[in-house]
Amino acid sequence: METYKADVAIVGAGGAGLRAAIAIAEADPALTVALISKVYPMRSHTVAAEGGAAGVVQAHDSLEHHFNDTVHGGDGLCDQDVVEYFVAHCTEELTQLEHWGCPWSRKPDGRIDVRAFGGMKIERTWFAADTSGFHMLHTLFQTSIKYPSIRRFDEYFAADLVVEDGRCQGVVVIEVATGQFTLIQAKAVILATGGAGRVFRESTLGGIVTGDGMALAYRHGAPLRDMEFMQYHPTCMLGTGLLFTEACRGEGGFLRNRDGYRYLQDYGLGPAEDKPRNKFMELGPRDRLSQAFWHEEKKGRTVTTAHGEAVHLDLRHLGENKLRERLPLICELAEEYLKIDPARAPIPVRPAIHYTMGGIYADLRAATPLPGLYAAGECASNGIHGANRLGSNSLVDIIVFGKMAGVEAAKYARGVSQSPHGVLEKQARGAQERALSPLRSARGKERHSVLRREMAQSMEAGCGIYRTAADMQATCDKIAELRERYGRVDVNDKSSVWNSDWLGALELGYLLEVAQAVVHSAINRKESRGAHQRLDGYEQRDDANFLRHTMAYHGGGGPPRIGYSDVVITRSKPGTRAYGAAGEQAQAQERKAAHG
Amino acid sequence: MSAETRTMGKRRPYRRAMDGWWTRNPFFVRYMIREWTAVLVAAYALVLLVGAVRLAQGEAAYSAWFESMKSPFALAFHWVTLAVFLYHTWSWFEIMPRTMPAIFVGGKRLARGVITAAGIAAALACCAIVLALALGGGR
Amino acid sequence: MAEGDRSPGASIEVEVLRYRPEQDSEPFYQSFTVPYAEDLSVLQALQHIKDDLDSTLSFRWSCRMAICGSCGLMINGIPKLGCRTFLREYYPGRVRVGPLNHFPIERDLVVDIEDFVGKLEKIHPYIIPREPRTLDQGEYLQTPRQLQRYLQFSNCINCTLCYAACPQYGLDPAFLGPGITALLHRYNADSRDGGQAKRAAIMHAEDGVWGCTAVSYCSEVCPKAVDPANAINQNKMASAMDYFLRFVKPGGARK
Repeated sequence: METYKADVAIVGAGGAGLRAAIAIAEADPALTVALISKVYPMRSHTVAAEGGAAGVVQAHDSLEHHFNDTVHGGDGLCDQDVVEYFVAHCTEELTQLEHWGCPWSRKPDGRIDVRAFGGMKIERTWFAADTSGFHMLHTLFQTSIKYPSIRRFDEYFAADLVVEDGRCQGVVVIEVATGQFTLIQAKAVILATGGAGRVFRESTLGGIVTGDGMALAYRHGAPLRDMEFMQYHPTCMLGTGLLFTEACRGEGGFLRNRDGYRYLQDYGLGPAEDKPRNKFMELGPRDRLSQAFWHEEKKGRTVTTAHGEAVHLDLRHLGENKLRERLPLICELAEEYLKIDPARAPIPVRPAIHYTMGGIYADLRAATPLPGLYAAGECASNGIHGANRLGSNSLVDIIVFGKMAGVEAAKYARGVSQSPHGVLEKQARGAQERALSPLRSARGKERHSVLRREMAQSMEAGCGIYRTAADMQATCDKIAELRERYGRVDVNDKSSVWNSDWLGALELGYLLEVAQAVVHSAINRKESRGAHQRLDGYEQRDDANFLRHTMAYHGGGGPPRIGYSDVVITRSKPGTRAYGAAGEQAQAQERKAAHG
Repeated sequence: MSAETRTMGKRRPYRRAMDGWWTRNPFFVRYMIREWTAVLVAAYALVLLVGAVRLAQGEAAYSAWFESMKSPFALAFHWVTLAVFLYHTWSWFEIMPRTMPAIFVGGKRLARGVITAAGIAAALACCAIVLALALGGGR
Repeated sequence: MAEGDRSPGASIEVEVLRYRPEQDSEPFYQSFTVPYAEDLSVLQALQHIKDDLDSTLSFRWSCRMAICGSCGLMINGIPKLGCRTFLREYYPGRVRVGPLNHFPIERDLVVDIEDFVGKLEKIHPYIIPREPRTLDQGEYLQTPRQLQRYLQFSNCINCTLCYAACPQYGLDPAFLGPGITALLHRYNADSRDGGQAKRAAIMHAEDGVWGCTAVSYCSEVCPKAVDPANAINQNKMASAMDYFLRFVKPGGARK
């Protein structure tokens, strides 16, 4: 097998992976970096992030406010030491991107402009029109070209990690263009592979968001944490699930039901006012807005379309000019895909899966419990998003912790040596055999596209916006059945060059294991918190029993073993989580209690 | 179809031939017409140059050249050239907005159509002036 | 939205160029019948083929929303993004889908874009600061007007449709080409950047802007209104000035 030796290998070249690579190159140009991605870096799903990235800049804002909004938005489940570090480094990282050329939107005086976002008390979302993730990704990718120590492996698919001597020492990859296996030996490995939203059916996510890194780490014993918290974004296109950014509401857009009524005022987010007010109404957090949609649908107050029930995202009052300047991609999506001019007609929307709050457990230093293995970005659970992520926190998550992972992995790599090549290669050969097994046709006649569809439908039925034990149990059973049938998948295409049939089958293997972690984490959390809402007697938050992180450990061919770990609370006791006028009241009372 | 493939391990990237590329898309056909009109523009410049040389050679030479311009063939050539000139002029101003930096008026970017129209208007104005001078001078 | 516009049972014929290097000596078209609905994209038709009819068909795709740049295809002879092109534009006629022109076909609808990526790596596609600044000093000031000077060129999603539209690139792959020149110009035109001299040799080379004959079809097919033809042609002027000025400037001719 061909071997490439690097000091650090990074799997995933989206925002987090690229930021990590640059951090290593800047920390020590003598360290070689292998940057592995199953797509060209600029195709990574960071590209699809629209709204923006949070960083405190305004004089009347403070790190304290950003901290409180984040912890409050996460429904108490954030690790506060990590959030403290996070909010303190957002602005610096966003400024760094500005220095690297990111075309952030500006105020007339040339300074960075910021916009309002859901669940944020004060405007602090930096944006590049409504293609913020696209510009961040291209800026990082193009900047990474400056560093000769970064060797890219574009269109190389990660088949396994090499774990030897109790630490992670490399990655086995498949070159998509040839089907050839390569062992990338590394003293440290960073996973930056993004989320796993494709375990669901209707999502805002690209086809590549298949939880590869999560599954690989999980198979090697690293726990997946808080996987039950899957975020539904409230405003997505019907049928496809494509995203209409939260910035639509940040700029002042309204959500209306079939009667033109701004229904969010019925769900503790009011009162409804003409001007957008932070943390009120449409600027509430995503979990609450998606849940409100569910209730409206049950009440029969939604609009019926060819692709199901919808509410209206009304942007008409923003006017043509503002829409073109601030939300050009939204205009393009509405016009090209739906033949709707958002300046003249409301856009039908509904919630769809958008973000994986959970992931590979990683600490403040981005280190996982497996020595030598680091994780950053959506694939990691570092504790900043809790039970519900706030919009515009993920684009800073990837750069703050991408950099952290790079710096820490570089430090680690300088202090260790590798096991002998022969031992590592033997492991790699085993991984190669396992990856080739779906190509051996003697196994059976199952088709992976069929299994994938059944998985996604079952996950939507069991792990949707509201959940019950019966539905979740049905999904647990279904996933177990699908994993068993997966062993009999036959891949039609036996060729070597660009065999996407085969790689699709491998991705399904990743998806199924992550899906199982999601549903088992969910059924065991007997409370309602953030994005995990139950209807079967556990409708309330239960801090006494569940102010804890769920830890899912791989259970081989069977279901995961579920354990729990403590939440780090430094300065903010989880209080009542309320928005709108109720939120202000609760805050005032807490303040009074604190002073009285 | 003549094409080549290069074998690289199991890869065998297939390169397609470019023969007849401009016939495959109406946009390319129009582009080729634009390029060929330039030939006629050059040809007419040559005709005028000959006229200038004749003028330098004296009145008789010039008159002979001038008379030859009145032959049915020369007249037909002029009409064809005029049509080609009009197309060339239009196509030239049509791509003009693509050749210059963006122009901002009052904070708003000038639309491509406006630049093209302004160019054509300027060309027409020049023609009118030349025509007026020529007709006025002839009187 | 395309409500009520699906006639149940309607279908459309999709012809797809197939080329499997391990078994086909040259490409050929294969025809599939795909269920039709007014709001289905060409990409969705391909996904249907792969999931339900023939899993051996290979093509690139990801975001489905015209921003990742993966799914550039020749659709009835025109370079387009598969995700943003809808079957309704062709129905009831057939749709013919091929890999992007002017690139070598790797397999089926997948082309080899290493040449494009290699050119991107060559142009110093990053800020070379005019005045270095530390993070403590905060952001560079850049007015909306200064931003406008390069913003459109920074909107390039690297989909390479413009290369499939450019016959000059097809005839001479050494030509730097539309998208990359737009990105080069994007950095040159950025008020924070001072790297123009470093990029000048690439820009002004015969394979640089002078490889362009102003066909300008690149700008017609660009899905993001980047207008690469504009980036190239406004630099021809700069390139010509650069050429003549070197004879005028003291010591200039030596460079």
